[in-house]
Amino acid sequence: MMEKLSPFHVAVLVYMSQIGIVVFALPRQLADYFGTNGWLVLLPGLLVTSFNIYLITLVHRLGDGKSVFEIMERSIPKAVLYPVYLGLCSVWLIFGCMIGKKYVLLFQMIAFPTTNPMLFKMAVDVLLFLLIIKGIFTISKAATFFFWMTFWMYFLLFWFLPSFSWVRLTPFILQGGHDQVKGALELYTAYLGYELSILLFPYMDKSKKSLAAIYAGNAFLSLLYICLSLVCFGFFSFGQLKKLLFPLLDLLGYIQFPFIERLENMLYGFFLFLILMTVAMYWWGALEAMRRVIPKLKIPVLAFLLTVISYCISFIPKTLDQVNNWILYLGYAATGIAFGLPVLLIALLLLQGRRVSRV
Amino acid sequence: MDANPQSTPMLRHILEEFDQCADLIFRSFPEIRTDIVYFPSIVDQKLFTDEILAPFAQVQLDEVEQLFQQSQFTRVTESKTVIEGILAGSAAIFHEKDIYLLNIYGPKTRDVQQSETETIISGPHDAFVESAITNISLIRQRIKSSHLKIKEYSVGEITKTSVYVLYIKDIANMKYVEELEKRIKRIEIDAINDGGMLTQFLEDSPNSVFPQFLTTERPDVAVSKLAAGRIITLIDNSPTALAAPSAFFEFFSSPDDYYERWALGTALRLLRYLALLITISFTAFYVSVTTYHYEMIPEALLRTLAESRNRVPFPPVYEALLMETMIELLREAGARLPTKIGQTIGIVGGIVIGQAAVQAGLTSNVLIIAVASSAIASFVIPSYMMSASIRLVRFGIIILAGIWGNIGIAMGVTLIVTHISSLTSLGSSYLTPVAPMVLGDWKDVFIRAPFTFLTRRPSQSQSPNPLRQIKRK
Repeated sequence: MMEKLSPFHVAVLVYMSQIGIVVFALPRQLADYFGTNGWLVLLPGLLVTSFNIYLITLVHRLGDGKSVFEIMERSIPKAVLYPVYLGLCSVWLIFGCMIGKKYVLLFQMIAFPTTNPMLFKMAVDVLLFLLIIKGIFTISKAATFFFWMTFWMYFLLFWFLPSFSWVRLTPFILQGGHDQVKGALELYTAYLGYELSILLFPYMDKSKKSLAAIYAGNAFLSLLYICLSLVCFGFFSFGQLKKLLFPLLDLLGYIQFPFIERLENMLYGFFLFLILMTVAMYWWGALEAMRRVIPKLKIPVLAFLLTVISYCISFIPKTLDQVNNWILYLGYAATGIAFGLPVLLIALLLLQGRRVSRV
Repeated sequence: MDANPQSTPMLRHILEEFDQCADLIFRSFPEIRTDIVYFPSIVDQKLFTDEILAPFAQVQLDEVEQLFQQSQFTRVTESKTVIEGILAGSAAIFHEKDIYLLNIYGPKTRDVQQSETETIISGPHDAFVESAITNISLIRQRIKSSHLKIKEYSVGEITKTSVYVLYIKDIANMKYVEELEKRIKRIEIDAINDGGMLTQFLEDSPNSVFPQFLTTERPDVAVSKLAAGRIITLIDNSPTALAAPSAFFEFFSSPDDYYERWALGTALRLLRYLALLITISFTAFYVSVTTYHYEMIPEALLRTLAESRNRVPFPPVYEALLMETMIELLREAGARLPTKIGQTIGIVGGIVIGQAAVQAGLTSNVLIIAVASSAIASFVIPSYMMSASIRLVRFGIIILAGIWGNIGIAMGVTLIVTHISSLTSLGSSYLTPVAPMVLGDWKDVFIRAPFTFLTRRPSQSQSPNPLRQIKRK
């Protein structure tokens, strides 16, 4: 049994919880909101997320790697904390659930237009349930395995290099966009997932390398986003990119081999691994929060209840648009948690530190 | 039976215990007031003559006591020990009030032959046999070190089967030895007949479809595992040795890899991983593409595929399951029948499946290629246990592909990955060296790097002495 998550696994977990459904539409969103060379916006994105991770590492340093729940429970009465835990659990659970639902709807749109998407959703939820009941170490092992299983896909970007043209990037920078603030907030959901690393503290090595691994996971994701977006901006024309709903799928559709074509059908299956890990991590976060509220309930029972609740909620939004809206608003909430939780914890830790020094 | 009057109570008790055991022999030597009880079926006749008959014929009554002072005679007092000794191949010697056991165990065993299940092209060809003592000798011949330690246990209330745990002191991690010891002692069953059966009592997750202990019939493999810091378990009356802790990827390496040039060894290993991919996904992918994703087939190939499928009345998933079942039937029949008939079955089955089924319009010939490739690929996997597990899992993936196409395959793969991620072998991760990630081990798992690079023992064995060779400068 792995006693602690090694830095490599922390990095993989962070990266795997970040990369998700947004990647399909990311280049279009960049082009639409930020205009020409919108991919440049990903650089400040990396900086902001890195700052957020800095806050998280500060919590680790001040709290000496203690569980965030313990830190909160030391200063705040449980009666106050329970609604907070419930809030965290709800946001993470439903956010994860909607990511899963969006994947399922997309898949239904591509290949199974007549099948009820909730059937797919049920299958995905069963897989997630089986994964989260095994705990973070099994999730981490599965994440690492999936990471290597999908690693080769990045090399597919080289396929587009012969068709890549710098001219399509245009010499203009960030021209022709609109609603940049809204776009920035929407795009930020593409980075979300790293904030869950705050829950990994009790499970990872207390070394600096583990904290560096959080940055590394995030940096790897950013690099991937930049490469992907750059390829999309140079492969499609700016006007075309703005009109494509899911440029990544269209991009993959161009790959042809003598014995197989329309690879996006197959590769979309591989994206299941990435999306599953994102949702699994959010659900694991939700499970961790709920365990604080109902510690006596066995993990499989609690996980089952959460899975059933989320499955029922996923019946509410019917169309892709509705799901997108849910993701948007829950993304705002998750962003709020990503910044708010570390800030709250830092404040608590400083207060606790002052109290200790007075004593 | 006329027993020596002085040792009568104990002797009578022993003889009553073995009442109606027709193969038990009781011999009396009245001139030296000695009686012998033993099973001729499990003793070495030559040893019996040399160690008992010859000395007893020459010795005088007053010299007998002196004879029994020799170290090969073990004096015992309890009847239970005497019974166990007789059953273990000793002769029980009753002299006046004293009882001695003399080990003359030597059952009839098969000669050391080639392994039928683990054949290799180059390298040593000898394989384990049913006698654990012979198997231990095959290992001792290869490891001439006092550090090779062997612990013996008895398992099975009735069979009292000897189980031997072998490890190399200072190379194997004692944590694993103790864990294995604990598990062996915990077994409470009437009979254990084979290593494969024993494994299911020792594994961390006996209900899993995947084997967590590597089984081998080859002494060279057992020795390489011992040298790598793993622990070998041998069981009497079984040619199967168990190696633990084991990882999933270990099942894809073969001793040949080390006996060939490294480039060839590497190519073979990569070929086996390709075989794993083909076994799991090829037929499922055919089902998925021909059921839901026709657009994935290029136009030139589409016509061929459509032509081959146009007479088939079933959906691809039924067609595939039918053929896969047929192949499995053939394989099982071939394995059960004598070699000569087995070959005939293979040829007849091949013709039936390969030609008649296509001509009758029951299946498409492209599927035949897919099914045959999957079957061939599954036999490339060196471990029979792992190959069988993967073939079984493949059926699930084919069904999922028939239900939901590519996403079904992805779901099946997710299920497998989730399952093997949670598996452990003697408490260590089954997915080593991928998770936990040990990049240094990859050079002896996914490839077979030149020996100069293979300087350390695998991380999974957590050896207290991880260095296996000093790097040349």
